[in-house]
Amino acid sequence: MLKNLFVSIVICLSLSACVSLKSVSLTQIPEERNNTVTATSDSWNLLGIAFSNDFIDEAIIDLKSQCIGDKIEGILTKHQVTVYLLVIKREVIATGYCQKG
Amino acid sequence: MHKYFAIVAVGLLTACARLDHVQIGDIDQSQGYLTPFNVQVSQFGLEAAAAAEIGRIATKGQASQQFKQIRNILALMNMGPRTGNPVYDDQYANKVMDYIYAECPTGKLTGLTSVREAKVLGPVSGEIVRISGYCIR
Repeated sequence: MLKNLFVSIVICLSLSACVSLKSVSLTQIPEERNNTVTATSDSWNLLGIAFSNDFIDEAIIDLKSQCIGDKIEGILTKHQVTVYLLVIKREVIATGYCQKG
Repeated sequence: MHKYFAIVAVGLLTACARLDHVQIGDIDQSQGYLTPFNVQVSQFGLEAAAAAEIGRIATKGQASQQFKQIRNILALMNMGPRTGNPVYDDQYANKVMDYIYAECPTGKLTGLTSVREAKVLGPVSGEIVRISGYCIR
């Protein structure tokens, strides 16, 4: 009985990821919104101890690579944190519209 | 002895990077060659209540009680919404524009990414404003 209760608590805690949205920003949205590009970069940290925020740059490079030679406008940037019991995932999600230059 | 070891261990373990805000600006790759740049300004931040709490843990008896009172007063004084630890100069981020123009004298900028972050070591921190982007050559 006690063992089942303990297992249930561990499963509930493990599955219930808690997401918090830390910041959101949006740039000017273009008239034509056909070609959407999205890039995500994340950083996993035990107990939330992180030593660098360089993972942001990966999202920018990824976004650039999806629209080479053109413009990316209307960029929605989300910075969110998801807590999985002892592990924390920090995430930057950028979505924009690729426009012909 | 164990107490001091624990304080040092906690202080070292909490030396981490904090990320508060990210904003990625429009990226124009159609105007020419893009040269990346990165500028940042920082300011010393202090969580005075946390420093008093360390004093409370490190001392005993009446001194510990006094540190506790100081901690409570400082915590009440700094109560309210804020981003990061308090700093002593609220103008420190103003210089960032000058640094950007020094990196890109043409002024043709794109892909500006604004990051508000900090390097935290216990009660003290380096409160950072970082701007990266591309200069169109």
